[in-house]
Amino acid sequence: MTEPFEDAERSWTTIVWNDPINLMSYVTYVFETYFGYPKPKARKLMLDVHHRGKAVVAEGSREEMERDVSAMHSYGLWATLQRA
Amino acid sequence: MPFFRKDKPSVIAAFTRGPEHTVLVDLRAPEAGLLADLLRDLLELLDEDSLSAPSASDAPARSTDPLAAELGLEDLGDDLGLGDLGSDKPVAQPQDPALARLFPDAYSDDPEAAAEFRRYTQSELGAERRRRASVAVSSLARVPGGGRLSLSEKEALDWLGALNDMRLVLGTRLEITEDDQEPGQDFGPGDPRAAYVPVYYYLGYLQETLVEALSP
Repeated sequence: MTEPFEDAERSWTTIVWNDPINLMSYVTYVFETYFGYPKPKARKLMLDVHHRGKAVVAEGSREEMERDVSAMHSYGLWATLQRA
Repeated sequence: MPFFRKDKPSVIAAFTRGPEHTVLVDLRAPEAGLLADLLRDLLELLDEDSLSAPSASDAPARSTDPLAAELGLEDLGDDLGLGDLGSDKPVAQPQDPALARLFPDAYSDDPEAAAEFRRYTQSELGAERRRRASVAVSSLARVPGGGRLSLSEKEALDWLGALNDMRLVLGTRLEITEDDQEPGQDFGPGDPRAAYVPVYYYLGYLQETLVEALSP
């Protein structure tokens, strides 16, 4: 079953922003642990955050993304959610 | 994010993996004492009473953060505005930069949504931070004169959160704004924060070893 691209249930993203305090190893660990991403993907996302200033780390419904952002804040990462 | 350079002193604590999912760390008494002090400072910063101070007061509240006081950074409003829960008044981001860093905005482009999110999540997040720091402080009481501290996996995860919180607070107080910045370069002579620069590096090193110990 396919869903329309504009389906509101999947039109939000969680963005993690670079910050000068969090350790690269820690950010990678968070991406592996919380999102369950395999290490190479987690490391790539971390490097995207580091080099590009931010990265989209998840997408889904607004409620799901608020949950992810809450979790990121608890880990001490700086994250926001916005429409995809 | 900084890449942590491992130019550490010779004898220093490091978290290591222990048997049966435990995490171990050998702490000398001064290290245990320093960590306990920093954790208590964090707990005081996150104090529930100060968190519920109203945000719309005329004069900025004095910070109850003893580290801030020691660093000469008093007169910071530490207001998480929990008194505004249930009211129509939006909850503002804390004025204290260290608290603001621990409780950042969830929406970068929608102040109303950010305030709403803050109203419903800030209290719980504050409680979770306090819980983790309390677990860490309590565990240190098991090695009063220093020694080998054995942590359960849950305790180790709480330590990870508490360590990161301490680094966020200290890093903000040291005004670290750039990756790989050496903190304190712009401090004037006699800036009381200078003493905490080695502490910042120490916490980073310690956290690095804990991440390693917790990684599969």
